[in-house]
Amino acid sequence: MSMGKAVWKAVKSFFVFWKDFLVGDSPVLAIGVLIILGVAYLLRGSDVLAPVVTIILVLSLITFTVWQKARARRGTQRG
Amino acid sequence: MIDQSTVLLFVTVALASAVEATEALTILLASGITRGWRSTFEGALVALGCLAVIVVVVGTALINYVPLFALRTVVGTLLLIFGLQWLTKAILRQTGFKAPHDEHDIYDKEVATLSKEAGFRGKRDSLAFAVSFKGVLLEGMEVIMIVISFGLATKSGDQLGTASLGAILGVGVMVTMAAVVAQPLAKVPENYMKLGVGILLTVFGMFWMGEGIGVQWPLGDAFLLVLVAIVLLATLGLIAYFRRSHQRKTEVHT
Repeated sequence: MSMGKAVWKAVKSFFVFWKDFLVGDSPVLAIGVLIILGVAYLLRGSDVLAPVVTIILVLSLITFTVWQKARARRGTQRG
Repeated sequence: MIDQSTVLLFVTVALASAVEATEALTILLASGITRGWRSTFEGALVALGCLAVIVVVVGTALINYVPLFALRTVVGTLLLIFGLQWLTKAILRQTGFKAPHDEHDIYDKEVATLSKEAGFRGKRDSLAFAVSFKGVLLEGMEVIMIVISFGLATKSGDQLGTASLGAILGVGVMVTMAAVVAQPLAKVPENYMKLGVGILLTVFGMFWMGEGIGVQWPLGDAFLLVLVAIVLLATLGLIAYFRRSHQRKTEVHT
């Protein structure tokens, strides 16, 4: 294996490792959290709205993810 | 004086570290018993050395070069992703949609795989070394990420000692238990611990992410306890709902 290919493989493995580590099998969670971050940033000026909306969005995200995974597992069990 | 958030931080890191240590110890035990202890210990020690270097290098770099608000935003975001991942899996396990984490089962599978592999089983065994190195490094990465995050993202930014002590306590208790019973720590209520850690990581993640970008939480640090109560209640509600839903579907299919 050439030096260039070895370096490319190492860089690729590094990013794959961190992607698996941080995103895992739930890309929806990672994307959802980034959206919540954006919304909270936009609302940060409001003392009431920012905390309330952040909490509601986090709870909605966990509910959606559990529902989505439960539905997928139900489908697998039936199949 | 020790405040509530410091206690919560200590408990979170200790619990998370205990869970990760339980998983790493199962791998070490399987490797040690099937392939020999010498290379297993060597692999684990080298991994611990790598983790120590990562803590020192990353911790120092973060303290010296990254502003606190940026650190808190990034750390909070990562912790929130991490916490929600733990929480999702824990809820699915509690409701029957996912099989509970069983250390005995994992141990048996690990032993079966390692026994099948041929190789030198004398003083040095590269497979035992690789398996224990990888196991300790991967589980340890989660621990050090939590230690560094919790140690540096607090208001004062100097809780690295408290977080490290929490991790040492969590890992220490599990290692002692494993050494005493000399079998997988299947009796540890790992699934409940994961649920608790998921809730706490979600709460700290949400709190620090918000603080990092300028969200004003009412009551300051004391609001962490309110957030724990809110997330705990929501989690219990989800478990109750999805457990009923799972039971209904199971009854319909039988």
